[in-house]
Amino acid sequence: MAKLLRVVNREQCIGCYSCMYACSRTWAKAITVEKAALRIRNYAGVEGAFSIRPCVGCDEPDCAAACPTGALTRRKFGGVQFKAETCNHCGACVQACASKALQWDVEKRIPLVCHHCGVCTQFCPRDVIAMVEIPREA
Amino acid sequence: MPRFRMMDVDLTSGTSTITDVTDRFETWLGGTGVATSLLAETDPALDPLAPEAPIIFAIGPFNAVYPVCTKTVAMFKSPLTGNLGESHAGGRLAMAMFGAGIHVLRITGRAPAFSYLTINDDRAVVKQANSLRGTSALAAERIMRDREDTTHKKSIVRIGPAGERLSPIAEVTVDSSRHFGRMGLGAVMGAKNLKGFVISGGSYWPIENLAAYTPFYKKLYDTVVKSTAMQKYHDLGTAMNVVPLSRINGLPTRNFSQGFFEGAADISGEKFAEKHLSQQIACAHCQVGCIHMASLRELFDPEHYQYKSFKVSYDHELVYALGSNLSIQSTEEVLRLLIIIEKQGWDAISIGVTLAWAVDSFQKGIIGQKETDNLILNFGDGAMYEKVLNRIIAGHNEFYRDLERGSDFCARKYGGLDRSIAFGKVEAAGYMTGTYAFLGYATGVRHSHLDAAGYSIDQKGLTKPKSDEEQTKELYQEAVWRHVLNSLVICLFARNVYTKEIILEGLNALNLTGWTEERLMTMARRAHALKFRYKMACGFRFEEIGLPEKLTRVMTSAGVVSKERYRTQMDAFKALVEADIRDLT
Repeated sequence: MAKLLRVVNREQCIGCYSCMYACSRTWAKAITVEKAALRIRNYAGVEGAFSIRPCVGCDEPDCAAACPTGALTRRKFGGVQFKAETCNHCGACVQACASKALQWDVEKRIPLVCHHCGVCTQFCPRDVIAMVEIPREA
Repeated sequence: MPRFRMMDVDLTSGTSTITDVTDRFETWLGGTGVATSLLAETDPALDPLAPEAPIIFAIGPFNAVYPVCTKTVAMFKSPLTGNLGESHAGGRLAMAMFGAGIHVLRITGRAPAFSYLTINDDRAVVKQANSLRGTSALAAERIMRDREDTTHKKSIVRIGPAGERLSPIAEVTVDSSRHFGRMGLGAVMGAKNLKGFVISGGSYWPIENLAAYTPFYKKLYDTVVKSTAMQKYHDLGTAMNVVPLSRINGLPTRNFSQGFFEGAADISGEKFAEKHLSQQIACAHCQVGCIHMASLRELFDPEHYQYKSFKVSYDHELVYALGSNLSIQSTEEVLRLLIIIEKQGWDAISIGVTLAWAVDSFQKGIIGQKETDNLILNFGDGAMYEKVLNRIIAGHNEFYRDLERGSDFCARKYGGLDRSIAFGKVEAAGYMTGTYAFLGYATGVRHSHLDAAGYSIDQKGLTKPKSDEEQTKELYQEAVWRHVLNSLVICLFARNVYTKEIILEGLNALNLTGWTEERLMTMARRAHALKFRYKMACGFRFEEIGLPEKLTRVMTSAGVVSKERYRTQMDAFKALVEADIRDLT
């Protein structure tokens, strides 16, 4: 059984974006929140209400199903894997993710796929997100 | 090596330009240093509300890059003081400016119609928005966020109706409950026909030196999150000071009549937490989360069980300014006043101190029912304060319209200057710990408790007495050192995390090499001196920054403050600054 990224205490989020910085830092070697494979969303006029949108590692990923070139394919134990050379930059994958969890790299025009590495959870000061064992087929 | 850019927006023509200002950052580091150098190049005779008067927003090389480096400096000519205006705010602005790829945003001109500004990467657009006129600072945020659905993370900066009315104590609100509170930036924006701006972008810095940056970042993160260095700011927040300060006669009560507040326990940090704290939130890239959000639930139709709920942030300064100093000992009443102030967009300290002056002057017969239109001003009367605020908003009569021009203006017009608790026309913050709290307000470049934390010198002196010469030197050195922190622009709550050694290591990890302790301190001393030179060119004189007469008669934590001692130490501080000004040339 593999561990996947999960929101475990949404209400404890303080909106520091530390998770997004950690993801960008680790995978894109960049100082920014815009290269992160998860998103902390906040809402107009609702001070302190955050919605955390990580890839949930679907058994049947809608993003992969929407990909016309096969660049995104289902990964063992949940999630997707991405082949950059096959991508035609259409963005259909991002549109297909109903929870808006799959992020888009505006600069490179490719999806920012979550590797479920858990680095974001190591930089969450309030235990909002965690790596959780989820039964998924190989 | 990272590059730094400045965006200039001219609201009159609706045009913008971008300039590389890396050289300026090499000299002035960033933030307050860079902003000072830019303001000092302007004509000191400019009317603060003239179209040509610039608003300079500046961040530094650590913003968005390291934990708790979350602040943005705003610099402008203050309509409250007529000289240097400076205020700092957190929120998401520093992150969003970094994302837009600009470290300085300089706004000049006056929009032909009531407008707001959007900045997406390199593109700035002035958008006419007459329907936003008169909207509260909170409503404006909802509307602008809704309309500007940007791809990248954004920051929303705006004024309330007070800024539109050009109140010199109007503030500018940033995102969720952060403010450029002090010195009237709200009026400067209002005079530019600018309701606010939304800024975002996808710029970033690649990590060039991964081997240095990653472990250094982790070390900082662990200090911030896992050590006790910043715990108090998260737990109760600065409101934890309320009771301890009152115990040592340091909590301003009833317009600084005394430092002990009998109701301190009822408006303490603990009490707010137990009754109202709904959650802590954070500025972007700060893992502390010091913003304490209070919920206030009110029954507005008892017959039908109709409730409404508000959320508003609180901290020590607000609890002092709208609590003890007005003799309000109900958390609910403090919050009700805060909500009105938050929507209007006044600086909470300034409006609170002005209300306290009004009540004090009413009770001494300096103003009467003629001015107040039959309202009786009593300390402790929350419903009355709400009425006063609502009359200011409605422009009820000349007296109420004057109240939003600050306590110094009112005292000069109506009398009671001896009880106007302002230094250099800036209403005082929430500490009456002794001579150095007051000297701190008086000698601070922005007349803020944050300029050099004089209150801390007073408190240390209670157990470890030192000579005035030593203490004044400490005040000066702290004021200078904070120019390093404010150039980077680190949240001052993290001042003990960011030591000189840590700062130099952090600059090196970004390949910003060549900085040494000596070079940092020279820059800081020069920026500090340059501010005073600009202030003086605007007419500022140390000699004119007197100690409000009332403060010579009250018992502070460190006893009665003598006018002679205050003046002698003002002269000593002035001599230190003048030596630095001579070195500038």
